[in-house]
Amino acid sequence: MRKKILLVEDEKNLCLLYKEELKEAGYNVTAVLDAESALQRIKKQTFDLIITDIRMPGKNGIDLITQVMALRKDVPIIINTAYQSYKHDFMTWAADAYVVKSSSMAELKAKIKELIG
Amino acid sequence: MIERYQFLLREFHKETSKELQIFSIIAQSFFQPFSLIDNLLVILTALTAGPGVGFNRAMLFLASGDKLRGEFWLGPGSAEEAASIWRVLSTPGIGYLEIIAHNKSFLTSDADNLTKRIKRISYSLNEANPQIPALAAVSREIILVRDSWHESLVEPHFMETIGADEFVCIPLLAEQEVLGEIILDNAITRLPIKDRDIELASICGLIAGNYIYTSNLQRRLVDMKRSAAMGEMAMFVTHQLRNPIVTVGGFADQLLDPKLPEAKKKRNIQIIRNEIREMERILLRLGQFLRVQVKEQVPIDVKALFRLVTEAVSSKVADRAVTIKTEVADGLSTISGDPLHVGEALRNLVDNAIDAMDSKGEIRLSARRDTEDWAVISVQDEGPGIPSSVKGKIFEAFVSTKQQGMGLGLPYVKRVVDACGGRIEVESEEGKGTTFRLYFKAKPREREIAK
Repeated sequence: MRKKILLVEDEKNLCLLYKEELKEAGYNVTAVLDAESALQRIKKQTFDLIITDIRMPGKNGIDLITQVMALRKDVPIIINTAYQSYKHDFMTWAADAYVVKSSSMAELKAKIKELIG
Repeated sequence: MIERYQFLLREFHKETSKELQIFSIIAQSFFQPFSLIDNLLVILTALTAGPGVGFNRAMLFLASGDKLRGEFWLGPGSAEEAASIWRVLSTPGIGYLEIIAHNKSFLTSDADNLTKRIKRISYSLNEANPQIPALAAVSREIILVRDSWHESLVEPHFMETIGADEFVCIPLLAEQEVLGEIILDNAITRLPIKDRDIELASICGLIAGNYIYTSNLQRRLVDMKRSAAMGEMAMFVTHQLRNPIVTVGGFADQLLDPKLPEAKKKRNIQIIRNEIREMERILLRLGQFLRVQVKEQVPIDVKALFRLVTEAVSSKVADRAVTIKTEVADGLSTISGDPLHVGEALRNLVDNAIDAMDSKGEIRLSARRDTEDWAVISVQDEGPGIPSSVKGKIFEAFVSTKQQGMGLGLPYVKRVVDACGGRIEVESEEGKGTTFRLYFKAKPREREIAK
């Protein structure tokens, strides 16, 4: 069965791009534009992996991670962000991987593979 | 009974001691925004001005890296020159300020042969067995050299340059650093250097060292601020551009796939076009912020200005229950500023106010006379107010509470107001709203002519 990924990305076009690329790579992708919608989805169904941006309108990615961990501790999380400098921020340690956005999605895909196959 | 005294002595009388004269001159330089070299010139002038007061000539070396480099050499080049200079200086009405001004212009002139002789020389501060003059700086000691032609510790080329039988080297020091060295002699009058002269020179050396030290610190601070601002800006631009670049790159990659359906090809090209427009917008705003230059200030009709601003935001207001109320008080018709930038600045503020109020509320855009020469324009909203976490830094670049905000709006407004010679104030209460007040110069009210 296809692995289920929840993608949180507030940039509409970028969200669309990731969704298409990850589907192409064989995953079942649910894409949402903000953290609040992400939480609602998580409460309703189970995902194998969550990919989230950090800076988003309303609730940010770090808040989302904190809340997700309270709900489902075992789901792996990848932070996918435009900011290189947050990488060493302890707030992001709770995630399983930190990827800086790049038009080549090789690194992101490799991390996904590493975490959920 | 009280008596009032002047801080600075402009002219000295016979009883004014040599020491008091010197320190009075040096103290004067604290009162003026001189550059480092000018301040050092004042100290060296104080030590050399006039016969019988201090020394005949003074050399300044400044440390740069691990070298002492010749900076300037003050004093007459020959006995004849000395006689004529000292004659001029004894003219009534010629004070120290004139001497300093003379020395300053002389140092940059062709006639300054002494400075030319030391300008290109430098001495290493790292040598195992340093010779004079480096020795004084390295050992951090004042060194008096007598019978210098027979002193093997004096570097031979330096001996030829200075050509004086007797001279004293004063190192300029900060805590751990060697900052330079002053070398003084009496080559013209051939008067022996007395202990009292050396004591005086050593205190001047301490002041000069302090000057250099603080000026270096200041320069480092400016550099640090500049590079911090640069770093912040680089990071900000990187982040702002990364999202659209990744989007463009990703959709372009898809286009390279020959199997991509025609409809998707078209869509991708459209997305790429839009993202590039977004990048252009980012660069435009950045450029606009970096290039605020108010060329000329003209009277701006306030009513017309308000009309332009409300028109500019009308489409944004149309989809919400937000009203903009404008009000120009009687007795104010124009303010002074750059119409383009002032209009853009106000539009920024009104734009922010609309965003702050989300769905409904009233924005008041008003102008009135504050004092006879100043007008104040206020932009008041009923939004949630500025969060206390950013309150102190709203005018700093790259601070934004908006998701897509670049944090350039308010810094831009402030730059415009500053450039127009005005000032900006903000009053904000969480839950109640925010008021920005912009003060501009206004033409004084025309007085009624008595009939």
